[in-house]
Amino acid sequence: MAVATAEPARPPDVRGPTAPLPLSIFALGIAALVVVAGGLLAVQIAYAVNGAPELTEHCLVNGLTENQTGSLGVCHIVEAFRSSALTVVLLVGMAVGAVAVVAGFSINARMPTRRQREHAIAGGVLGIQAIVLGVLLFWFRAGKVTIFSRSFLNIAVLEGYGDDFLTGAKNTLYLAFGGEVGGIILGLIFAVLTLSTRRVVRAPARAYINFFRGTPLIWQLVTFYFGVNLGLGLKLGTIQVGLIVFTLNTGAYAAEVFRAGIQSIERGQIEAARSLGMSYLQSMRYAIVPQAVRRVIPPLMNEFVILIKDTALIVALGQTLGQRDIFSVARQIYSSTFNATGFMAAAAGYLIVTLPLIRLVNMVERKLRSGLTGIVGQ
Amino acid sequence: MRQRPLNDDGTLVRLEGIHKWFGDLHVLKGIDHKIHSEQVVVVIGPSGSGKSTLLRCINILEEPTQGSVIFNGQDITDIRTDLNKVRTQIGIVFQAYNLFPHKTAMENCMLALKKVLNMVDDEAQERAMTELKHVGLEQKADAYPSQLSGGQQQRVAIARALAMRPQLMLFDEVTSALDPELVKEVLDTMKRLADEGMTMVVVTHEMGFAREVGTHLLFMDDGKIVEEGEPREVFERPQDERTQSFLSHVL
Ligand SMILES: Nc1ncnc2c1ncn2[C@@H]1O[C@H](COP(=O)(O)OP(=O)(O)OP(=O)(O)O)[C@@H](O)[C@H]1O
Ligand SMILES: [Mg+2]
Repeated sequence: MAVATAEPARPPDVRGPTAPLPLSIFALGIAALVVVAGGLLAVQIAYAVNGAPELTEHCLVNGLTENQTGSLGVCHIVEAFRSSALTVVLLVGMAVGAVAVVAGFSINARMPTRRQREHAIAGGVLGIQAIVLGVLLFWFRAGKVTIFSRSFLNIAVLEGYGDDFLTGAKNTLYLAFGGEVGGIILGLIFAVLTLSTRRVVRAPARAYINFFRGTPLIWQLVTFYFGVNLGLGLKLGTIQVGLIVFTLNTGAYAAEVFRAGIQSIERGQIEAARSLGMSYLQSMRYAIVPQAVRRVIPPLMNEFVILIKDTALIVALGQTLGQRDIFSVARQIYSSTFNATGFMAAAAGYLIVTLPLIRLVNMVERKLRSGLTGIVGQ
Repeated sequence: MRQRPLNDDGTLVRLEGIHKWFGDLHVLKGIDHKIHSEQVVVVIGPSGSGKSTLLRCINILEEPTQGSVIFNGQDITDIRTDLNKVRTQIGIVFQAYNLFPHKTAMENCMLALKKVLNMVDDEAQERAMTELKHVGLEQKADAYPSQLSGGQQQRVAIARALAMRPQLMLFDEVTSALDPELVKEVLDTMKRLADEGMTMVVVTHEMGFAREVGTHLLFMDDGKIVEEGEPREVFERPQDERTQSFLSHVL
């Protein structure tokens, strides 16, 4: 008999088999969270679609009036929050969560396999999350739901501002990308300068870096715009001033990132380069910086995420309509409608860009940590 | 530039009263020595005696605090010397290999050819390949350092230095970081170089190599050359008691 045992393609799974009890606790935990979060969503949707055709007594008493834009929609949100349907949903979800917590944490230590124990623990943890979310929602609706909903959740006031948001997004991204690219170039130059053995070279570079790291960004913007720009009669627009100041500011931070990156390269590398006859700058350019660049990618991407959010500070400068960034558009909506829902839209806009970036940073960091640094050629 | 007459006795390097301080630490305490063309000078001595520092003073990787290094009749400790140019003629190989990790073996050898000697791609590639063959690694030309064994990395480092066609090669304990079974391939490469007439200064703990390949031996202790001579002679009849004590420990 020919015995050909094939090599297993994957390592064996030693976590052991599942069992009905811990698996059902796990399912209970998931169910609890789904009931609380999904229930809230479902009740809101139901009211949005089938809500009363006019403002309810409660809405009128709490300050909503017929002739406000979107007041009916807001009223539906409010009524959904107050509804007994939501009460039932939240209580059921929290009760299921409580069962999962009690069951999960009482049996997990007695489970015979790792997988069963993890299922029991996960069920308990999800149960806690469902309970916490339920408590927060009860707490929220005990407050002034109408005022909050009217100010922050009145989507109807955003109508007609689509183009403004588009312009805003364009300006925000332009400032962030421009500032980052400019800052990286400046940062690289100043990093090399701060590494000079000559104090006369180092000192001005350090002065620049320390000044821009040591003063508030909004101070830099305001001073440059009103002081330098208007004071000297440069006639630069808000976007141009923003680009310059964000570049200078990011340059200072990037310089420190690059300096740390360059200093993290082993001394032997520059010695090897210099002993082959390369000048200091050649050694930096061809041997050291290419290695340092890989190490500084994650911190530079973090700087970029920070810059995207910080571009909002140009709201402090004078702006024409076309010069507004996302945040300025939201503020403009606020001042013309006295409604803050635009800020919620702005937050969504920032998150659409920053969340994928944050994920990407984490991925790159994981990759660099796994020891693949410097293997792949450029 | 202060030019000294080329020596007709075949002196390639002359060290004159070299002192080196690191802060208050006096590491080299007056080194006078001549290295002749085609000599293989082996430097031995206890840890911390200043062997590496001396070696690094020869290509001014460390600047001597006092004294002169005369290379090919030129005082390269003179501040007006173009050190980058001088260094193309002095190769050095380090204990830690110091290959550029982001470049292949081939690119490691080509970089300075292109950037310092201004060779065109083809010419640099040809020269790099010749030297990789020289150390027996032509089939690893496209490998990155992390894909090579320690011994192979060290041979690439030797090829990289040789590609500049130096007149002098410096080796600083180049086998100390290697697993025992990889030491031989590197020592064999160095021995071949010596046979080809390369002038070499070799800091090493490999006494067998010192005895067989070395043409001159320096024993250093406490920043001074304590004893020197023909390697076999020194190994068999050490005169100074510090040499005797050191050799009795390592042999
Ligand atoms: N850059 C430096 N700064 C300060 N001290 C140094 C520096 N380089 C070397 N030293 C000191 O100089 C002394 C001689 O060092 P060196 O590396 O030349 O010794 P070595 O003979 O090569 O020793 P080993 O056999 O351990 O390599 C040591 O005490 C060392 O600590
Ligand atoms: Mg040493």
